Amino acid sequence: MTDDEPSLNIPSLLTLAVVSFFVLRWFFNRDDAPAGGGRGRGRGNVVNPAQVEQISQMFPQLSTRDIMWDLQRNGGSVAATTERILTGRGLETPPPSFQPQVAIPSATIPAAQTASAAAPKADGQDLISRYNLSAKAASTAEPEPQLATPSKSAWSQNKEERQRLLQKRRDDMILAARRKMMQKKEGSAQ
Amino acid sequence: MASNVAQKRLFHEYKNLSTNPPEGITAGPVSEDDMFYWEALIEGPGGTPFEGGVFAAELKFPKDYPLSPPTMKFIGGGVWHPNVYPNGTVCISILHPPGDDPNHYEHASERWSPIQSVEKILISVMSMLAEPNDESPANVEAAKMWRERRPEYEQKVRDEVKKGLGL
Repeated sequence: MTDDEPSLNIPSLLTLAVVSFFVLRWFFNRDDAPAGGGRGRGRGNVVNPAQVEQISQMFPQLSTRDIMWDLQRNGGSVAATTERILTGRGLETPPPSFQPQVAIPSATIPAAQTASAAAPKADGQDLISRYNLSAKAASTAEPEPQLATPSKSAWSQNKEERQRLLQKRRDDMILAARRKMMQKKEGSAQ
Repeated sequence: MASNVAQKRLFHEYKNLSTNPPEGITAGPVSEDDMFYWEALIEGPGGTPFEGGVFAAELKFPKDYPLSPPTMKFIGGGVWHPNVYPNGTVCISILHPPGDDPNHYEHASERWSPIQSVEKILISVMSMLAEPNDESPANVEAAKMWRERRPEYEQKVRDEVKKGLGL
């Protein structure tokens, strides 16, 4: 094309320019398409922490990293990952280079906090020991004195006070159920 | 920013649940420093083997709540029920995001949407305790027992209820 033929004139140069413009454009578009079009980018690298959470709740024995790896590879389908685990194929160990990109990073924090806060609550524990109510459960074995608990409108402008009210409502609910159950048991025993 | 919306909404729901609590339900954040982690107590519905029991559950909210639903898990074990996984995770339609049900068991209207709330979830769970959904059991053993050996199922539930109250 770039030969120096004397017949090279302006119209043919223009035609060449226009043709090569379209050729180049087609060429680059073709390259872009797979990356930009739909699946690749949108479903690509980012892992939704809610999905990871969902799966690790179902299968607490699995490592979060493995779950993220599988989710990332199947485009974030919880169903597919679950299916895979349930059919016994198990999850692959991600390569060491795998750096999970979590969509909203702070979402994994509550889970971590839960884990540390969860220390005193082994599974299979009853509510009395869970909320340290054994003393109250023993002392208030006789029903009253605060039977009519202020369960309505337990709200305060003060944060600590609110926390306390919530705890009290919780404790009262458990203790009341326990008392009732004990009475029922005694009733049926007699 | 999104999590700010979520926090405000959760705080609002917490306030409503405290000032106007539904019968047999107590719920709120374990600490207000983390509005995304709640604990709830649900009373067992009357006229069922769960009657008289109190069940504790943890609720974990995603940062994009209320667009996505929270997860709910009974803690301390002991909810023997076809729709509760052996590890305590609750499986009901209101906790499933719309479009997440490849088997089309559920109508979109039953599933999670931002117009639902913690209160509605807890009430749904309460009625789930009363009426298990046999279609997609989370605890296959419990579902089988519920279907085929109802008296044994009810006895087991009653025993668990007592154990949960430390009796």
